[in-house]
Amino acid sequence: MSLRRRTLLKVIVLGDSGVGKTSLMNQYVHKKFSQQYKATIGADFVTKELQIDDRLVTLQIWDTAGQERFQSLGVAFYRGADCCVLVYDVNVMKSFDTLENWHEEFLKQANPPDPRAFPFILLGNKIDIDGGNSRVVSEKKAKDWCASKGNIPYFETSAKEDYNVDAAFLCIAKAALANEHEQDIYFQGIPEAAVPENEQRGGCAC
Amino acid sequence: MSESQEPFSYPPIDPINFDLIIVGTALSESVIAAAASAVGKTILHLDPNSFYGSHFASLSLHDLSSYLTSPRSPPAAASASTDSDDVVIDLVHQHICSDAEIASYDESAFLDENSRKFSIDLGGPRALFSADKTIDLLLKSGAAQYLEFKGIDASFVFEANEGLANVPDSRGAIFRDKKLSLREKNQLMRFFKLVQQHLDVTQEEKISEEDMDIPFVSFLEKMKLPPKIKSILLYAIAMVDYDQDNSEICKDLLKTKDGIDCLAQYSSSVGRFPNAPGALLYPIYGEGELPQAFCRRAAVKGCIYVLRMPVVSLLMDKVTGLYKGIRLVSGQDLYSHQLILDPSFTIPSPLTLSASDFPSERLQMLSQRDIKGLVARGICITKSSIKPDVSNCSVVYPPRSLYPEQVTSIKALQIGSNLAVCPAGTFILYFSTLCNDADEGKKLLKAAMNALLTLPVSGNSESILSVQSDSEDTKPIVIWSAFYIQKLITSKFEFISSTPTPDGNLNYNDLLDAAQKLFGQMYPNEEFFPKATPPDDPTDEDDASGLTLDS
Repeated sequence: MSLRRRTLLKVIVLGDSGVGKTSLMNQYVHKKFSQQYKATIGADFVTKELQIDDRLVTLQIWDTAGQERFQSLGVAFYRGADCCVLVYDVNVMKSFDTLENWHEEFLKQANPPDPRAFPFILLGNKIDIDGGNSRVVSEKKAKDWCASKGNIPYFETSAKEDYNVDAAFLCIAKAALANEHEQDIYFQGIPEAAVPENEQRGGCAC
Repeated sequence: MSESQEPFSYPPIDPINFDLIIVGTALSESVIAAAASAVGKTILHLDPNSFYGSHFASLSLHDLSSYLTSPRSPPAAASASTDSDDVVIDLVHQHICSDAEIASYDESAFLDENSRKFSIDLGGPRALFSADKTIDLLLKSGAAQYLEFKGIDASFVFEANEGLANVPDSRGAIFRDKKLSLREKNQLMRFFKLVQQHLDVTQEEKISEEDMDIPFVSFLEKMKLPPKIKSILLYAIAMVDYDQDNSEICKDLLKTKDGIDCLAQYSSSVGRFPNAPGALLYPIYGEGELPQAFCRRAAVKGCIYVLRMPVVSLLMDKVTGLYKGIRLVSGQDLYSHQLILDPSFTIPSPLTLSASDFPSERLQMLSQRDIKGLVARGICITKSSIKPDVSNCSVVYPPRSLYPEQVTSIKALQIGSNLAVCPAGTFILYFSTLCNDADEGKKLLKAAMNALLTLPVSGNSESILSVQSDSEDTKPIVIWSAFYIQKLITSKFEFISSTPTPDGNLNYNDLLDAAQKLFGQMYPNEEFFPKATPPDDPTDEDDASGLTLDS
């Protein structure tokens, strides 16, 4: 399979509006952070190439494009995801409480073959705020939740300070890659995207 | 995230003023949302359903059954303050589908257990020609980057007494064809060459102006093509609906120039993509992916999306009678310059308004929704293919191929599990035909199904066994079927615009033309998907264009 093409992994980032999903993606890929918050407009997906062991993989990280605001992400958003990243704000209890809903919604919509084995990762973002004094969700509470969901890996991050962002996404990439192997075995009938044979701008490359 | 069981509180929407409010997320509405967002309009896009796509959705088996059989009860209007300057007019929701007939012949719990593995198109059968304008629009709009396609393996035409024959759609296919006689092959080759010459700008030899204006069927006769070839060209390649030989009934008599265009599109579709064997493409996960791709395009440009949000009334200015806004089921009032409504909405007629001096004539268009016709749709699930070794294929049944009184052609599409729309080992077959009434439509579809499939007698498992052991070769057995009649309503640009229902065609060209026209009427000075991406949009990757096609 690796002979056919570089591995493309679809990663989706879920969580309440304002927890820093777009900022984490921008920090990871563009090494940029904007202090000013705007509800996401213009964010689609970002891609990043990285080497994992001897494989070159392309992470395609999908933003919710703002469609999460009224819980209106369609099933197409979830299709074919190799890893689901859940994000909450350590300073906002509600964003932690709704993780349960996002987790459940993902399993319902993406309908992975083995829900218990599907790779999730939890990021507790904005740990920089007020030197950590305003946080309301303890690390232990988050880790307990992760344990209850089948030991989901957990990272505490700050998109603003670029703290732990690379480490978290490397873990995401590895989890997605591991999942892809398993999916290939399971979904033998479902074809993979083929390499465009003749790439021509403006026309179709198929 | 809301389960329908638990009490659902409708979220307040902020802001409350928009350039455009769109109700319904069918393909046309989604394309307009993407196009208007691309030129900077502020848009609120609502859908009363919990899923995207409206009449173009792809649904699980359970969701499809409940969508077709349970007419949605109109949501009770929340009693909001009525002391404003607005006249409130309640909207009526009329399901565009009726006469649904669903039967399950599955003795095991297979279908129940696998309901969610199905993704069944409501507006099927539908596919894209590799060279049609839908593909161009998908690329131009950027929606293509969210989609993957696969080529349909084969195209067949059903011939009375002979069953399925390949549609000879290229020189190679004509050459290889086993059912055509040598004479027929030569005739077809000559005709294709003539069309090619006509389309080739460097060639002098053209079809005369006079011939271009006569009915295509007369031109084909003039070319001395035999009935069988004529039928293939008219119904399986140009895909016309009505019997072209029956001028009394025919509602879509095709002219030579349009016929030539259809042939040109078909032949440029064949081989456009090296890994698509025929002329047709189908989106992986079903046609419901298309509106969602356009909605995501719109969302990326700032369009606000709210599913599960019914609209209950229109707000009209008391004095001018002009549209001002809408009232949601939550009781919240929202305002916009323009409104696009899903074709299933009407307003009660005659209008009974408390404000007697209200200029209600502007609302006539909404209360008099003219139905242009009906399309009968049918869906079957089988556990084997209608053609061994072919998973995905299209079939056309020309007029009179099933019985003498058949005046319309029937289109069918079989999609297998490698398109990720059904569990491994199953197939979904879609059928459609134009009709004048439900009985006629269902009779046509049942005849088409019976020609290729075995429809068990409901509730009688013994009949299934007897059919299986029958000598009549192995026709796939239907384990689930549905029939429904869908109204054909075209789009309108008036005081309040409305989008069209799915049409009876196999492709999306007419629907997209209508969407583009509506956009042009609403925003005459704006371009439909301008090419350049705004420079202040660093995350927008304009080099991501291209169509992903699985081999």
